[in-house]
Amino acid sequence: MKILYSRLLEAINSKPKIDNLCADLTMIGIEVDGIESLQGDKVIDFDLTPNRGDCFSVKGLARDYCAFKNKKFVFSESFSFKGKNEFKKNIKLSASDACSAYSAVSISNLKYKKKFPQNIKKSLKASGIQSIHPLVDIINFVMLERGQPMHVFDQDKINGNIEVRFAKPKETLEILGEKKLKLTSDCLVIADEKEPIAFAGISGGINHSVTKTTKNFIIESAFFAPTAIKGKARRYGFQTDASQRFERGVDFELHEEALREVIVLTKDIFDADVSEIKTKKNKYYPRKKAISISLNDIKQKLGVSISENFLISTLKRLEIKLLKKTKSIFVFEVPSHRFDLSIKEDLIEEIARMIGYDNLSQIKSDPVSQNYEISQYDFLNAIKVFMNNKGFFEVINYSFLDEKVLENLNISENSISLKNPLNNSLSTLRTSLLPSLAANLEFNLNRGQNYLKLFEIGKTFSKKNPRESLNLAALLYDNEKMKNWNSNQDLDFYHLKGIIEDLAVEFRLSDLSWKKTTNDLLHPYASADIFQKSKKIGSVGSLNPRYLKKIDLAKAFYYFELKIDSLHRKNLEKLTSSSIFPTSQRDFSLEVDKKISYEQIENCIKTSSKSYLQSLRIFDVYSGKNIDQEKKSIAIRITWGSNKKTLSEDEITQETSLIISGLERKLKAILR
Amino acid sequence: MDLDALKADLKKDFSEISSQEELNILKVKYLGKKGHISELSKNIKNLSKKDRPEFGKAIGELRKLCEENIFSAQEKIEAISIKESLEKDQIDITLPGSFKSQGKLHPLTVTTLKITDFFSAQGYLIEDGPEIESDYYNFDALNIPLDHPARDMHDTFYLDNGDLLRTHTSPVQIRAIEKRGAPLKIICPGKVYRSDADKTHTPMFHQIEGLVISENVNFGHLKNEIMTFIDFLFGPETKVRFRPSYFPFTEPSAEVDIMDKKTKKWLEIMGCGLVHPNVIDMAGLNSKQLSGFAFGMGIERMAKLLYELEDMRSLFTNDIKFLSQ
Repeated sequence: MKILYSRLLEAINSKPKIDNLCADLTMIGIEVDGIESLQGDKVIDFDLTPNRGDCFSVKGLARDYCAFKNKKFVFSESFSFKGKNEFKKNIKLSASDACSAYSAVSISNLKYKKKFPQNIKKSLKASGIQSIHPLVDIINFVMLERGQPMHVFDQDKINGNIEVRFAKPKETLEILGEKKLKLTSDCLVIADEKEPIAFAGISGGINHSVTKTTKNFIIESAFFAPTAIKGKARRYGFQTDASQRFERGVDFELHEEALREVIVLTKDIFDADVSEIKTKKNKYYPRKKAISISLNDIKQKLGVSISENFLISTLKRLEIKLLKKTKSIFVFEVPSHRFDLSIKEDLIEEIARMIGYDNLSQIKSDPVSQNYEISQYDFLNAIKVFMNNKGFFEVINYSFLDEKVLENLNISENSISLKNPLNNSLSTLRTSLLPSLAANLEFNLNRGQNYLKLFEIGKTFSKKNPRESLNLAALLYDNEKMKNWNSNQDLDFYHLKGIIEDLAVEFRLSDLSWKKTTNDLLHPYASADIFQKSKKIGSVGSLNPRYLKKIDLAKAFYYFELKIDSLHRKNLEKLTSSSIFPTSQRDFSLEVDKKISYEQIENCIKTSSKSYLQSLRIFDVYSGKNIDQEKKSIAIRITWGSNKKTLSEDEITQETSLIISGLERKLKAILR
Repeated sequence: MDLDALKADLKKDFSEISSQEELNILKVKYLGKKGHISELSKNIKNLSKKDRPEFGKAIGELRKLCEENIFSAQEKIEAISIKESLEKDQIDITLPGSFKSQGKLHPLTVTTLKITDFFSAQGYLIEDGPEIESDYYNFDALNIPLDHPARDMHDTFYLDNGDLLRTHTSPVQIRAIEKRGAPLKIICPGKVYRSDADKTHTPMFHQIEGLVISENVNFGHLKNEIMTFIDFLFGPETKVRFRPSYFPFTEPSAEVDIMDKKTKKWLEIMGCGLVHPNVIDMAGLNSKQLSGFAFGMGIERMAKLLYELEDMRSLFTNDIKFLSQ
């Protein structure tokens, strides 16, 4: 809301510099968004919080400022007057508490007595309100001054009497901007005997509004309850100066005062015939609220003690009157303009505001002690540091992306789409971290990178339970022809597998196993699914070549993705001292069929060597020259040992021959 | 050759020695079967019985002197040879280390960790909750009913089934109260979503919120916690102000500003307040017995201040050149 600086100075009856005025207002919770210049004056743009409907006017701002500064606040009230005739239409209030007071006046035979006042035009301009018709300008000006939105109807377009009611089925209303609203039964309307003529407290209907040719006018000034107005305009995708004020709450004692001010201004500018003000109230007309509070309540919430006198005088500055005091309980009456005050905490905030938040003291004791727990969050951060140490850079991507991206990769099943996405490229929640990492890769390749190691920890989403899964994904891309000056290591599947194995060691993840992948995103013969016991926790491998074109890459990247929110972690285990006896080692070089996996060989050795086997380590795999096309050569080092004795040559020989015969028999291996 | 001359020769010979070969020759020359010392000792038979012991002693000393010289020459030669072989091993220590392999944490993670480290040390437990939330946890339970104007402040992403992407981390507070009851002291970092995109807003961003609930928690405790935190994060010289504001879930509510050291302008950094009694009651506790405070801040804004970042959006481009700074 924008208000003229000069007008505010008049209203507070003092002349603080604009910066000081804005600083003071900020410190009582009336935030200033900016200051603009207009015709040698300044315009202050206020960013009001939704609770402070009472500040939506010059009067409201000045009232709160004067309360804070402990200055007398005066805002002129118009005298009563005698109208030329009765207001002829009946007013019927049929919407119970939604509209409990409605005033109206009719005006006709407008003739200019003097030029339309510049100060009104300037105020409207400062507030960004278009000048439409002199009477409309006047009611808008009074709204800026006092906070009461009003509406002007063309009396001749109204059929019969006026009723405030909820909309009937299938009723519509055309408003400014050629919007035709389909009203629902919770929409409060002003209606004539034929149809709705205004969306109450929000916007007038275009068919009953004033035009240049209008001769007879009706001005409405009513109290609409915030609950009847809240959210309605937003539902139809707009808001108005009126709806903003009514949904926050307009002083329920203001409607007649504002209307009188309109009449005074009108009669000052025009010769005009003005009727009596007709006011209709029903039994739902609100009463002022009462709030009970004790000095102890204030001490408990603010941590400071205040005196009875201070309490009463401070609230009085805010027009909050003491009704009665019984023992230690004070009962205060909330003024009709403060819709935000209903519980004692609200009064406590008012006291804090008047004291100034900065003047409240700090209390250095810790109010809570509780037991320490290690959280999942610590685990996540440890994984992040681990991935850093493995050379991966952390990225953070949006959780949503283009549904087409998921469809292209065949991973859109069970995906969740947003009902109101910002745009199509951010329409669907990701089902995998892969598309985001692939997009990061593409972005960086386009900027000249040939080598990339990225990881992300983030959620993926699915319609199936669990809806959210916390994943760790890493991407490795190495298309750098020039390696480092002294290293020629190829970064491949085994590099990533090694990282996952290290991760398992670091975080005590037991019982991991690797199976041929069923993940359609990955190369079916060069990727693995990872299991912990019988539960699939992720996959690792290279991107399936058929997707390469779709994401425009020359060379496949390697990638893994693990669900990390349900990993099983072992507790710390018993440590044993290592054996004092020496171990023995033998190297084996075998030729086996290419189809035989390392796992088969490992299992065969483990079941063949009956005793003392400590470890085996594969140190070479070779196929090609000098070897049958269908075969591969494998070199393994086996270590035996005992913690009771040094093994004899005979014992080693026996184990060796058991292994060799096992390999020959079960895997048709040939010892080289 | 007499004794003294031999002694002088020996000293001279050993002082000039520089290799194992030379040493071997000298060993033979002096100590060999036909070496100088053996030859000289043969002269003993020409001496009178009276002079013989003295001569024998002198020969013994000479032999000892020679052995000592051999020992130190041996040490010297070994030192020389180690030095020579070390020189052959010389490398260029200015070449870069083998394959560079240290990644970096994202600036938002670094910022979050700085904040959570502080609060962990103050005894806060770290909590998180789902990113897809119900209306109830995101709004209703936080005293934001359906038609509340405060919902205007949250441009919410909705799903088809009526659920939504959480617009703040506050739902975690409610879930934590339900799970743990009181007293309670938690900090909740996490992703949040609002349908907003411009230079200062991204549709996904990060928040961190704290909640303390116990008997007799008051505004003074809140102020102290925030002031201590700001001292930690921005330095003890930082100017801070608390001003009234509005959040449906706190009452009284405050906004905290710090003074930008360069521009001397106030910067809004977080919101806070005493937990609204409705929130405490709705979560199943009794607001007549318990009170609490809550505070929340945007991590991007903190990162922006800590890293003096110009454009918030660069936090989400994932440009490796940016991230590896």
